[in-house]
Amino acid sequence: MRRIESLIDTNAADYKANYAAMSERLKEFHARQQAARFERPQRDIDRLARQNKLGVRERLKLLLDPGTPFLEFSTLAACREYDGTVPGAAVVTGIGIVQGREVAIHANDASVKGGAWYPHTVKKVVRLLDVALENRLPVVHICDSAGGFLPLQHGVFPDRYLGGRVFRNQVKLSQANIPQIAVVGGHCTAGGAYVPTLSDYNIIIEGTGAIFLGGPPLVKAATGEEVGVQELGGAVMHTSVSGTGDYRAATEQHAFSLAREIVSQWKRTPKTIIETAAFEEPYYDPKELYGIIPKDRKTQFDMREVLARIVDGSRFHEYQPDYGTTMVCGFAHIWGYKVGILANNGVLFNDSSLKAAHFMQLCNQNRTPLVFFQNITGYMVGREYEERGIAKDGAKMLMAQGGSVVPKFTVIANASYGAGNYGMCGRAWDARTLFMWPQAEIGVMGADQAANTMADVKIRQLQREGKELTEEEIAAIREPVLEKYKRDVEAYTSTSELWDDGILDPADTRNALGMSISASLNAPIEEPHYGIFRL
Amino acid sequence: MQRIFQIDGEETECWLGHDGSRFVLNTPDGSVACELNPTALPGGYTLRAKGVVRELRLAVGPDATFVHMNGRTHEIRRIDPDERLAGRDKGASDDRLVAPMPGVVVSVAVKPGDTVAEGQPLLVIESMKLETTLTAPRDGVVAEMPFAEGDSFRLKDILAQLAPEEE
Amino acid sequence: MTISKLLVANRGEIAARVLRTAKARGLATAVLRHESEQEGPAHLIADEIVTIEGPTPVAAYLDIPQIVEAAKKIGADAVHPGYGFLSENAAFVAALEKAGVTFVGPTSEVIALMGDKVRARGFVEERGFPVAPSAIEDDDPASFVERARTVGYPLLIKPSAGGGGKGMRIVREDSTLETEIETARREGIRYFGDGRLFVERYIERPRHIEVQVMGDGQGNVVHFWERECSIQRRFQKIIEETPSPALTPEQRDEICETAAGIARAVKYRGAGTVEFIYAQDGAFYFLEMNTRLQVEHPVTELVTGFDLVAEQLRIAAGEGLSATQANIPQTGHSIELRICAEDATADFRPSIGDILLLDEPSGPGVRVDSGILDGGKVTTDFDPMLSKLIVHGRDRVEAIARARQAVQNYVVLGVTTNTGYLDAILAHPDFAAGNVSTGFLAEQSETLTAPAEDISELLMAAAALSDERLVGDVMQIPEMYRKMGGWRN
Repeated sequence: MRRIESLIDTNAADYKANYAAMSERLKEFHARQQAARFERPQRDIDRLARQNKLGVRERLKLLLDPGTPFLEFSTLAACREYDGTVPGAAVVTGIGIVQGREVAIHANDASVKGGAWYPHTVKKVVRLLDVALENRLPVVHICDSAGGFLPLQHGVFPDRYLGGRVFRNQVKLSQANIPQIAVVGGHCTAGGAYVPTLSDYNIIIEGTGAIFLGGPPLVKAATGEEVGVQELGGAVMHTSVSGTGDYRAATEQHAFSLAREIVSQWKRTPKTIIETAAFEEPYYDPKELYGIIPKDRKTQFDMREVLARIVDGSRFHEYQPDYGTTMVCGFAHIWGYKVGILANNGVLFNDSSLKAAHFMQLCNQNRTPLVFFQNITGYMVGREYEERGIAKDGAKMLMAQGGSVVPKFTVIANASYGAGNYGMCGRAWDARTLFMWPQAEIGVMGADQAANTMADVKIRQLQREGKELTEEEIAAIREPVLEKYKRDVEAYTSTSELWDDGILDPADTRNALGMSISASLNAPIEEPHYGIFRL
Repeated sequence: MQRIFQIDGEETECWLGHDGSRFVLNTPDGSVACELNPTALPGGYTLRAKGVVRELRLAVGPDATFVHMNGRTHEIRRIDPDERLAGRDKGASDDRLVAPMPGVVVSVAVKPGDTVAEGQPLLVIESMKLETTLTAPRDGVVAEMPFAEGDSFRLKDILAQLAPEEE
Repeated sequence: MTISKLLVANRGEIAARVLRTAKARGLATAVLRHESEQEGPAHLIADEIVTIEGPTPVAAYLDIPQIVEAAKKIGADAVHPGYGFLSENAAFVAALEKAGVTFVGPTSEVIALMGDKVRARGFVEERGFPVAPSAIEDDDPASFVERARTVGYPLLIKPSAGGGGKGMRIVREDSTLETEIETARREGIRYFGDGRLFVERYIERPRHIEVQVMGDGQGNVVHFWERECSIQRRFQKIIEETPSPALTPEQRDEICETAAGIARAVKYRGAGTVEFIYAQDGAFYFLEMNTRLQVEHPVTELVTGFDLVAEQLRIAAGEGLSATQANIPQTGHSIELRICAEDATADFRPSIGDILLLDEPSGPGVRVDSGILDGGKVTTDFDPMLSKLIVHGRDRVEAIARARQAVQNYVVLGVTTNTGYLDAILAHPDFAAGNVSTGFLAEQSETLTAPAEDISELLMAAAALSDERLVGDVMQIPEMYRKMGGWRN
């Protein structure tokens, strides 16, 4: 494969301006992540210490192989909910390495609201278990939760993808022979009791871990029985009397040592084999992405320059380089794994849609995972394009994309608007992982368009009521709509709502994709098959 | 991946990593890239680490590694932290002996207040035509022996209780 | 009185060393082995191995009837006792004599005489050889102070009932003798409830010098020069050398002739060693006589060129001495290091373990008398000495250099040994200067066991990289993850 010849001038003024703008954004992003991970009110830190419990990050350190990466999902989940008081939605999820193998990790963060389940907590956990199911990843649950957050129980409990889905997914994992282990390092009350009990293995930490359907206060209220935590659901009782618990650990260290030992004994299923090559770092420095991504989202940039800072050796075999040029398709390697890449270099036309559909079929035929780099404002509109069947060609692209059997991965690199989001494997389209860059936006259309559209509706309604509006009055209607919309399309809103698996520093994209691809190969790849292409 | 190494009584917690081309030993003081290649001598190796190259002779015993280097022999005890933690299972022992099935007490060997050692017989029971000797789960002091010789007991009755361990 | 089959009633390095010479002389050979004992070098040399039994291995090696019976059973006409065990046991010698088996060593009478320290000292003193002056109060309490005065200064007053240094007083001047005696008496009463005392000459920073002698039992005795054995830990020698750097040629002749004279006085038969305390002022006093081959005999062999075991066997076979005094040279310098399984940093605590790797040094002027084999086991059943490293050089400087190089190349892995400690002693400037005494190791204990440069990271790296389970655990991590390291998004 040939190396991409970069045309970037790192001394150019616009490059430097872009670089400065992105650096500023990343400073804020990293600060927010740091705060979501570590900054807690002192009383919560004190409470954990008093309870003789380790924090969730320390627990992860004990669980994971030293010197190995951890791909954390949705660190900033719920960052725009609950007045920002539930950092990370009170749970840590991600893919980590235990005894050399990839596991999905679901760990309550008891330093946030005692690890209570908020609506976004449930969403984050269900998503993690979906990742485990899709990729056949063993799961390690680290349980330490106060239970559902009762004031918001409607958002936690009843619906299809709420609390029950956590346990349903656990059952489905077990049914699919995907092992799970739970380390009980705090209370698992009510529904929470099913996390360890639906796990193949569980370990209870003596003194701090407990499992019960109703805790002591509830028992007292319900039946008048007075009983202590340890007698009711402590490690000794469960491991020697009820059989609800498998192992009793004297300390947190002991618990995670046992957990590691148990994980190491699980059968290793050979991973799906795809085309690979020897590793090669990108020839161009990934940090140069900061200067390539324009500080103004409307400025066009060449996705090949982006790919050159992510793929192995900056090497790219481009498919149909002279046809449908707003859609860049081609083959590259990421951490040695051969992938098919689809990247937007402009709006999707008929030819670019057809090119994408054909390329995806090539990849499915060849068992080549797909990676989407989104910078898309949508499919082209207008009479000429409708006549050429842009809706039909877009449907072909969706059919090929949605019907793909190979694992798909999406990076929202800049804009993700309208049906372009669908064609380029947006959230609804089962990307195994989907990450956003911090300046990226997602919405049905761009902020200005949307604000104008919404403002126009309002203005026309007022005009129908016979009101003449001054420029100021129009602006007074339009500005708040624009402000709100701008905020709604931001990456922070998306990540707060778990429309993605997290915001990425662009320089981390290569590793995040490498881990995602590697994890996806725990699941087999089916024979290619499709629905009906409208020809 | 982790080991505790003990040299001259001093313990160091380490973990070994490998970045694809070389090993890196990580100690609390920092990381040391290192390489060990065999030579023609029995147990002979060349060690490269910290910018030096050393010829050494080495033998790996079950708990310690012996290294002869620069004319001196050194003993490095190796401790797997997981194995050390596993030894704490005993600390998590129960204070109670719970009847595994219904039966009759055949004999009682200790009385409350007696000091007992782990594994010391406390009482003999008969259940399902089998005599079983129940022993102390840990060192301690007997707090209660609720049943006397000849008494029958039910499933999960407490047959012996040790005084709680003092922290 | 020819010898055709020799039983070596010993084990370890000395059994192997005796067997080698016996085989070279064409004798049939046999050696003992306790049922629980690991195979050693001696078992590879001997023609025959006689299994002995006993509640402990040491008890078996001390079992006179069993060993005499073994000798008779296999038709051995001579027994070489080595050192230790039954080598100075008069009853054993008498039992062998009764059974008609030749004992390679002196008569039981001489063993009995020299085995009794008080009788031996009396015997030597009566014949005019030097013994350290002393006076015992009990002999004649009335004349005690007078007799103490004749001991000479400095002198040491000790409570007769004492021990552990309590109540001991050093007197350097006659003027304080009587008050010190009274003080010592009061202390003796206080500590031990017994005020009786004795005094002896206090020898400051003494050296241990001994002389190898060989007699034919007819009164012909030659000496094979001296050995200095001042390097001792817990009163046991660990480095010996010859010639002694302390002696002038005149002193050497005097001490060696004295030793030969003592041996002549008992019509000594076989190999023996007369031990002396040597004071810094050049005076020397008879200490005791060992009626056997010494552990450190090889240094004598390397400077004289004689095989002392061969001489022992000649004499036992009635062939007499092969040498006259005039043709026993003292050429160059020889040093012996005792390689022991012990931890010099932990009060010489014996160590045990499996010998995982053994590579003993060799080369010009290097001799190893080893009692261990690669793959063997070191237990607490026997003395912790594993082997002896003996070097020879043209002079003391060369001998020290060779000893250091050899001990540094002495690879015994799997059990803690004192090789590093021995090297530290050899490297000590006082040792190089010959400025030592029997208290040297105790005085220098801190400098000799001080840790060298901190190489713990190198050692840990070696231990980690040779730990197959650890490396296996690390390498099971997919390469991509190893390369990513502790990356976090």
